[in-house]
Amino acid sequence: MSVYTQGVVALMGVNILMALSVYAIVMADQVSLGNAGFMAIGAYTSAYLSVKLGMPIFPALIIGALAASFIGLLVGVPLLRLEGLYFVMGTFGFGEVVRSFFMNFEPTGGAYGFRGPVGATLPIIYGWVLVLIVLFWLLSRSRLGRSLDALRDDAEVASSIGLNVTLLKLGVFWLGSFTAGIAGGLYAHYMFYIESGNFHILVSAMAILCVILGGMYTFWGALLGGVIFSILPEVLRFMGGWRLSVYGSVLVLMMIFRPSGIISRQMVRNAEEWVGEIFRKASS
Amino acid sequence: MLEIAHISKHFGGLKALEEITFHVKEKQIYGLIGPNGSGKTTLFNLITGFLPATVGSIQFLGNELTGLKAHKIAKLGIARTFQNIRLFGTMTVKENVLVAQNIRARSGVTSLVQLFSAKERGFEEEADDLLRRMGLWEKRKEQSLSLAYGEQRRLEIARALALEPKLLLLDEPAAGMNEAETEDLLDRISEIRNMGKTVFLIEHDMNVVMGICDYISVLNFGELIAQGTPDEIQASEAVIEAYLGREEE
Amino acid sequence: MFLQQLVNGLTLGSTYSLLALGFTLVLGLLKMLNIAHGDVFMFGAFLGLSFAMLGMPLYLALILAMVGAGVVTIIIERLCFRPLRKAHFLMPLLSTIAFGIVLQNVATQIWGSEPSRYPQTTEIAQFQLGPVLVSSIDVIILATSILLMVGIDQFVRRTSFGRAMRATSEKPQTASLLGVNINWVIIFTFFVSGALAGVAGVLTALVYLQITPFIGIRQGLIGMVAMVIGGIGNVRGAMIGGLMIGIIEIMNDAYFTAGYRDIILFGLFLAFIVFKPEGLFGTKER
Repeated sequence: MSVYTQGVVALMGVNILMALSVYAIVMADQVSLGNAGFMAIGAYTSAYLSVKLGMPIFPALIIGALAASFIGLLVGVPLLRLEGLYFVMGTFGFGEVVRSFFMNFEPTGGAYGFRGPVGATLPIIYGWVLVLIVLFWLLSRSRLGRSLDALRDDAEVASSIGLNVTLLKLGVFWLGSFTAGIAGGLYAHYMFYIESGNFHILVSAMAILCVILGGMYTFWGALLGGVIFSILPEVLRFMGGWRLSVYGSVLVLMMIFRPSGIISRQMVRNAEEWVGEIFRKASS
Repeated sequence: MLEIAHISKHFGGLKALEEITFHVKEKQIYGLIGPNGSGKTTLFNLITGFLPATVGSIQFLGNELTGLKAHKIAKLGIARTFQNIRLFGTMTVKENVLVAQNIRARSGVTSLVQLFSAKERGFEEEADDLLRRMGLWEKRKEQSLSLAYGEQRRLEIARALALEPKLLLLDEPAAGMNEAETEDLLDRISEIRNMGKTVFLIEHDMNVVMGICDYISVLNFGELIAQGTPDEIQASEAVIEAYLGREEE
Repeated sequence: MFLQQLVNGLTLGSTYSLLALGFTLVLGLLKMLNIAHGDVFMFGAFLGLSFAMLGMPLYLALILAMVGAGVVTIIIERLCFRPLRKAHFLMPLLSTIAFGIVLQNVATQIWGSEPSRYPQTTEIAQFQLGPVLVSSIDVIILATSILLMVGIDQFVRRTSFGRAMRATSEKPQTASLLGVNINWVIIFTFFVSGALAGVAGVLTALVYLQITPFIGIRQGLIGMVAMVIGGIGNVRGAMIGGLMIGIIEIMNDAYFTAGYRDIILFGLFLAFIVFKPEGLFGTKER
């Protein structure tokens, strides 16, 4: 694999994780425009730990993600009380505060950025992607996952059957911020250099667009969206600079004609049935 | 079992409910009737924690319900159905029932690894059982919204029963049903009482109300105008006046 | 010195007010945020630039940019809002995110991602008003902004169309039954919102003198901050919020470090969203 292709594949892993972090929050019927902020916290924290304190990459990543998810809880409690639109605004307010914070924070380089973290190889990045995919898969088939489906369907009725909606929303917010923190840590340790501009609101927006494109009702959608979004610039090279316009237009049209995204819930259901059949036939 | 004491609900200047006091006894089938807009569903919303009461208290088995969040009230043993059926449209028939068990099953983070345990299978069997009793088992894998209207109502009731509640609140369960379906519904409600549960229902269909209720409260313009057995209510001047000139099914 | 900064703040702030006003008109009407609004602002700035490059006098370039921006916003309504009326209420917001990306890309393709210089179209005169130095550009910006804001305020409060707008925003079904043509109200509101963004774009470009396709993001966000602080859905709130933000920004740069600017602004934004979402002048309904 050429160095260039390696770079694309590595960043694809990060994009997939960011898309999953958005999807986590979408599972509880909310949209976060601030996950770049959690990515930043994960990135800077893990980078600082590994560069300044010599910590190996694995614990640095975990601590970075835990820091991000801890802040996620702190911010989540007041924000989740807000309804949909205000919640979105609150999240991007948060994302921007984090970004401008790191722009000024001297210990991690301030406006000059932070140099030095290494160690995120492709196997490590995709190891994490795999772990999170398995986690989301287990979640989708569990009772907890079904509670979330109910919440998304009709939050009032969900609470009338005993589901603690607030706790569920906080839980997925924790998961989303944790995942974004991992994505940030891996990003930092691959790119060797990070600065606050890397965690711009557009990063959050792109992650959301991945989920919209791939499918908003299943984690496979985030996966597919992340892949498409990363590979698209290469595939559409012939369109030159107009690639983003094409991408954006496709999304606008998709919202009109197929708002649930490429992979629909029914498709996943059918696929699961089909796989189940194969297993049954094989074991009989 | 359920004590409604001096309950009032005001929406700004609008008095939706005013000084409502009555109580529902265990294993009763209690009816709440009244013209449209008299505040019946509002009362249900207060009981189940969907709306806060302005004044008054609601006691259930010794627990004060006013001020509690909806999910806590459900955990205390109260389940409800809705006037305009609110199923989980993205789930199948069986899934609607299964998710209602989450209040009793392991449904936290540990549920991620509970997929194949014996307990899970137990819950599945329970759900199948419930669906069979409601005549919905054949359609268990269908999307919930693809069911016929009457079946959807039965599903909503099945979902409520899956919580194993002590008190079941039914909001106009016979709405839109023909005679045969209504008969069926009456049988089912009796069955539910035989299971040891208390049923509190809102209804417009007088056949249902008079046919099955042990005791009835009548609301009009947010006020309690009469309470009594079906015979007493049918003879009551106040009730006849309230309903005068209004179409009832 | 302080007064000078105040004047600069008011000038900058009035451009934010225009942006905030555009946001608040759409939000107040449809309860939905047009995230591409900032990019419409950017587009308006570039349109003004192109028209000015063609040799047109400033006021004409301004008007044409206004119209152009208004048209773009109507397109947004057609593609991102109207077809999604029955969908989940956050869908239009997500769609405008995508549309904003398209606008940025189109602008990059047409005008390049390098900063473009705004041509000198009018004589810059400087007036000395006591201790304060005011340039004719400042006067143009302030005058245009105030004119537009007062105009819109009066329009919404006094005219029958303004009443129709308010009725549509509060109770669309009732308004429709009373004979209000909802679709026209919506189209008109979007057009005005876009026109305001376009004007703000040209005026801001006159202040900073160079623009890139990416200024919309930040300016849009600041406009949103101004809107929230002033009070969502409130025309006067948007105006005052914008002016306040402009003053805060200039004061911060003058007496603090420019680096803290965003933290203060977005920190304020976050604080308001969480603790006082109705802003300073809005009504507490949520």
